[in-house]
Amino acid sequence: MNGLHGIIFSYEKQPGLRELGERRMPGSIPFGGRYRVIDFMLSNMHNAGITDVGVVLHGNFRSLLDHLGNGKTWDMSRKYGGLKLLPPQSGSRGFRGKMEALAGVRAYLDEIRQDYVVLADSDLIINVPLTKVFEEHLASGADITCVCRSKYSNTENATFFLLDGEKRVTKTLIDPKKPEGCHCLEIYILSRELLLRLVDECAAEEKFSWRSDVLGAKCGSLDIRGWVWDGIAAQVRTVQEYYERSMDLLRPEVYRALTTAERPVYAKEDDETPTYIAPESRCVNSLVADGCIIEGTVENSILFPGVRVEKGATVKNSVLFKKTCVEEGASVKYVIADKNVRVRGGGVLTGTESYPVAVAKNSVV
Amino acid sequence: MKKECIAMLLAGGQGSRLYVLTENMAKPAVPFGGKFRIIDFPLSNCTNAGIDTVGVLTQYRPLELNSYIGSGQPWDLDREDGGVHILPPYQSATGASWYKGTANAIYQNIGFVDMYDPDYVVILSGDHIYKMDYADMLARHKKAGAACTISVMEVPWSEASRFGIMSVDGDDNITEFAEKPKEPKSNLASMGIYVFTWSKLREYLIADENDSASENDFGKNIIPAMLGKKEKMLAYRFAGYWKDVGTLDSLWDANMDMLATGSGLDLFEHDWPIYGRSVSAPPAFLGKESEVLHSVLTRGCVVEGRAENSVLSVNSTIEEGASVEYSILMPGAAVKRGAHVEYAIIGEDAVVGEDAVVGAKPDGSEGWGITVVGPETNVPKAYKLGAKRMLNKAMKEVAR
Repeated sequence: MNGLHGIIFSYEKQPGLRELGERRMPGSIPFGGRYRVIDFMLSNMHNAGITDVGVVLHGNFRSLLDHLGNGKTWDMSRKYGGLKLLPPQSGSRGFRGKMEALAGVRAYLDEIRQDYVVLADSDLIINVPLTKVFEEHLASGADITCVCRSKYSNTENATFFLLDGEKRVTKTLIDPKKPEGCHCLEIYILSRELLLRLVDECAAEEKFSWRSDVLGAKCGSLDIRGWVWDGIAAQVRTVQEYYERSMDLLRPEVYRALTTAERPVYAKEDDETPTYIAPESRCVNSLVADGCIIEGTVENSILFPGVRVEKGATVKNSVLFKKTCVEEGASVKYVIADKNVRVRGGGVLTGTESYPVAVAKNSVV
Repeated sequence: MKKECIAMLLAGGQGSRLYVLTENMAKPAVPFGGKFRIIDFPLSNCTNAGIDTVGVLTQYRPLELNSYIGSGQPWDLDREDGGVHILPPYQSATGASWYKGTANAIYQNIGFVDMYDPDYVVILSGDHIYKMDYADMLARHKKAGAACTISVMEVPWSEASRFGIMSVDGDDNITEFAEKPKEPKSNLASMGIYVFTWSKLREYLIADENDSASENDFGKNIIPAMLGKKEKMLAYRFAGYWKDVGTLDSLWDANMDMLATGSGLDLFEHDWPIYGRSVSAPPAFLGKESEVLHSVLTRGCVVEGRAENSVLSVNSTIEEGASVEYSILMPGAAVKRGAHVEYAIIGEDAVVGEDAVVGAKPDGSEGWGITVVGPETNVPKAYKLGAKRMLNKAMKEVAR
């Protein structure tokens, strides 16, 4: 049996996501033309041979439940184990931290068949070889191995590690004013035994935070090590971040690294027919999913399945979610249009690079 | 568990007229339309028509087909009760034999059909591109109390001699059947889709098997025998899109029909979806310098060059400075920098090397035809492969 078990935390909505986060949690936000953000972490786990994954749910999780289904997409629809959805108990007010969330699913943790557990967040866009992290964890003999990066830009409310020459964490910095060391990506590997011990200890002392009560408080007593990943890793916590990370995908090296055939990213089948590009159209520097009909001009954009760009319509520097329609002669620039938006004939919708316009689901503009 | 109606899909044919494309796979497994395989059409028709039990009869090179169908999940045919079943020829206590003909293939699986004790059986073949509601055809069959219903479509009189032709009376009862007649009496062609009342078909299959002179074929033997005994035979008229993709020309044509709005092949309709086993690949990427016009493309495609009037399948790539016109790139096919492809079919995972030229425009001459590069073939750098030529994986030219 494979030695790793996955636990993914799915958080409350991010207010910074405005219209995009109104009806869904960050994990179920569409990204990259055909994915939901959580597809990346589930695929990382699948590609590392993980068959058993628990998803800790919290908040408005209907859209996420719908997306995850029985886990078949990630080969996690199994007779034993497989994908397990862990909603909060009725009446509970959600959780204040990972340790409280884990204490809430204590009975589930008892049933884990594997000796090791990988903890991760649902809103991290990354394609990382977890097998290598696990090998390194076993080889180093560390108590906890944390995936982190040495280069970073957005660091709001983040955790940082100072590492010594053997990548041992010497100090944990929680939301520091001035970031230093390595930025934690919230992917951790540890043994099930240690996890259970930590959960019980924290519960007994009414502690709820993984980062302050474990990473911070136990930095000296536990052997915590960093595993540095400087490949692509992105979190989308605001509309602006969402827009920038989406546009990054139009750089071939980013697109290739994130969707490498070596470790494919699995997404729910859309059963759409191939996309049709008409004779007098133009479609360049764009990512286009199946089922689209393009009769107008598309530049520097990302189109999800079933998007229509009618004759004489222009789509530039935009992200259009599933079944959005830009009608004849309309123009959209610097726009993120949620599912099923209709931009009426002749309409003009323009944002700017630093403040893209986000349009809510089913809107008619 | 009793079923009212099950389907038997004849998928064992070699498809020799597809030459290099079927050297290693059965015809129904040949890719079509960017992200499908031919067999997706009858399988999707079954599931859309509410037929949840399908036997797929395989014989020639079944590996690709078997792994493609798998549990049947993409077509919602992974069922506890029914579902899709692969039925290869088998050995029995008295010996073993290949499927000798279409009727013999069903004869050898009478045991399978009986297991579901159906009232009706739909017989399908795995080499047609069409959307058809078999449930409607079955309703006609039941209402008329027919022993056999054959779907037919009107073909141009000039082409009627290429088909199995039905003559009918005023109520569309079949009065006569002629296989490829020199002087056709009707222009109603059989589409090779039959609904039988199982108890009747079962009798005729057994009688046919006992006739040593029979070729054990539906068109040649079973249908004429039933007509001879004055069974009630009904023609079911079909007017939608239907194409037999048994030849290179018709396969190319049908792919091109994906581009022609007037062709009738509309896969954008959502009320009758065609399902296929999906490949996990990212959305198509069209580069800064790319130019794609009047073409279809799908996930995993990376286009940096030019494509016009073409079908680009899953994971196919066109590098910078390369161009593809009036062609089909099958899954995983790559056209390298500076290469030019026109009026060609490039097989799965084949590579057209840098600056190579494959295919040529129609010049009206007898010797012109679609150029074909077989699956996994590497066309070397700067190689010239002219009109109607075919190259296989071993770099051997195949004649047609």
